[in-house]
Amino acid sequence: MWKKTLDRLGPLLVVLLVTVLRYLFPNKISFFTEIAIYTIYVMGNNILYGYLGLVSFGQPFYLGIGGYATALFLAYVGHNPLVALLLGIGSGLVFGIVLGPSFIRLKSSYFALINAALCAIGVFIFERLLIDITRGNDGLWFRSNMSKLPLLDVRLPQSFFLFVVIVLFLVLMIYRHLDRSTLGTMFRGLQSNEEKLKFIGYDTFKIKWVGFTIASCFSTFAGSLYAINFGFVNPSLGENSRAVEVIVATLLGGSGTVYGPFFGAFAFLGIKDIVSRWITRWELVVGILTILVLFRFSKGIWGTIQQYLLGIQKRVSGSNDIRSPKGSRSAGAGS
Amino acid sequence: MSVNDGKKLLHVESIDVSYGKLKVIFDVSLYIDDGEVVVLVGRNGAGKTTLFRTIAGFLKIRKGAIRYREEEINPYKAFEVAQKGIRYIHQDKHVFSTLSVSENLELAGHAIGNKDFGPVFEYFPKIETLLDRRAGNLSGGERQMLLIAMALLGKPDLILMDEPTEGLAPHIITDLATSFKKISKTTTLFIIEQNLPLTAQIADRVYCMREGGIVAEIESKDEIKKMSFEKYL
Repeated sequence: MWKKTLDRLGPLLVVLLVTVLRYLFPNKISFFTEIAIYTIYVMGNNILYGYLGLVSFGQPFYLGIGGYATALFLAYVGHNPLVALLLGIGSGLVFGIVLGPSFIRLKSSYFALINAALCAIGVFIFERLLIDITRGNDGLWFRSNMSKLPLLDVRLPQSFFLFVVIVLFLVLMIYRHLDRSTLGTMFRGLQSNEEKLKFIGYDTFKIKWVGFTIASCFSTFAGSLYAINFGFVNPSLGENSRAVEVIVATLLGGSGTVYGPFFGAFAFLGIKDIVSRWITRWELVVGILTILVLFRFSKGIWGTIQQYLLGIQKRVSGSNDIRSPKGSRSAGAGS
Repeated sequence: MSVNDGKKLLHVESIDVSYGKLKVIFDVSLYIDDGEVVVLVGRNGAGKTTLFRTIAGFLKIRKGAIRYREEEINPYKAFEVAQKGIRYIHQDKHVFSTLSVSENLELAGHAIGNKDFGPVFEYFPKIETLLDRRAGNLSGGERQMLLIAMALLGKPDLILMDEPTEGLAPHIITDLATSFKKISKTTTLFIIEQNLPLTAQIADRVYCMREGGIVAEIESKDEIKKMSFEKYL
């Protein structure tokens, strides 16, 4: 019962939580804006890792592609941020469709490494090869070129927060629908038993390709939102030294779940924000927490919450039946 | 051994199969007619599973041909063979363990555009009571039922079952034997089986395999009932 309710109201609850916190901590608006954007970024990685079982050390590349697609449009071509965002998503679509067929043929470890290599190439391209248009490490500034939207002026932090929260709500609705759809079941089936999926008549290559492309779109979309949020981009957005961060956030939240990316983004950025005030090397705490999660809470924050709620439900109903509510899954799975 | 040249459901013609340079199937020929229950028996390592994986499209042949309804299927990939109407149930009884039973069925049904689970519940009523359960929590017998139910969706012409009763309790094997009889009225079954009494009970024909080749084909019902194929093992 609680699961169905959570499932229906989940996107709204997430957005309400972020909004309430933003008003409780008014000077933290940029932090909560980043949580909303980072959630979308983690969602992309979650499709690869949590649903398809692919580890990628190259997600910042796609973040950078989305950021630069948006930034280049706003700096040189047009003024409308919505068109720039659509270009960002489109860049993910193009890169997913073009790179997918060769990347997804690779074994998991090679897939991880080729993405890392791509990340390094991407930084070189943004920083050196296209320096005339990207301005290299100085970054590309375009905030003054952006026009305001009919109802919102996304150049202002308060308005952009509202915009991002609406976007997050819509993206969560789409993500939830994807999770519940047959395509989502195919993704999880592929991770569970790829060969079996072939036995029953699926072209697993195409399923991976679609998943890879969707993941790319999420990542580039997050990159576009980052670009608009900052009003500029530089190559550090796509640096592969940051590739592990999104994997850690995915694990922290609970991989293979709809709401895990939100909890992962919240926990990761929250820890980073709090710990970095006291320790320069905030990664130390994130590292310890990751080890703890891997050994003790493999289902991540959201998976553990779900398990806890299921335990309460069982105690209340006094049932020892191992059945679970529809859609509930294994390690780290479920909405 | 006679290989009928008439119009067959499945016709394996003199195939060789290798793992790299190691040849494991030698000049194997066999056929399956519509509506038959054909059992393949043989010791461990005889090449039975390799033969099934080859028919299912997971391994490529070095020579010969595999025809399904007169169409050569050996160039096809595994998922294309499944789409043609041949389902393969692997011996490891692996379901999609992280998904619920209903999601397992949904996946199998979606692959062939059939979401009507009713007919398979007639064969395995118990599955209908387990729909919300995580497939990884099912017992061995329940998993086997689920696998057969998934294979039956969309009424395939031929199901290849690799040791479906391996590791199951005797009473479950009896139940499955009854189910096989029912299923065979609408679907052709080609089964690898080590359980000789069960083979004698359900088989219309028996192929015996040894060291990568077919060494005998038993067609006589009396011979099958007497388990005369045992001498070829």
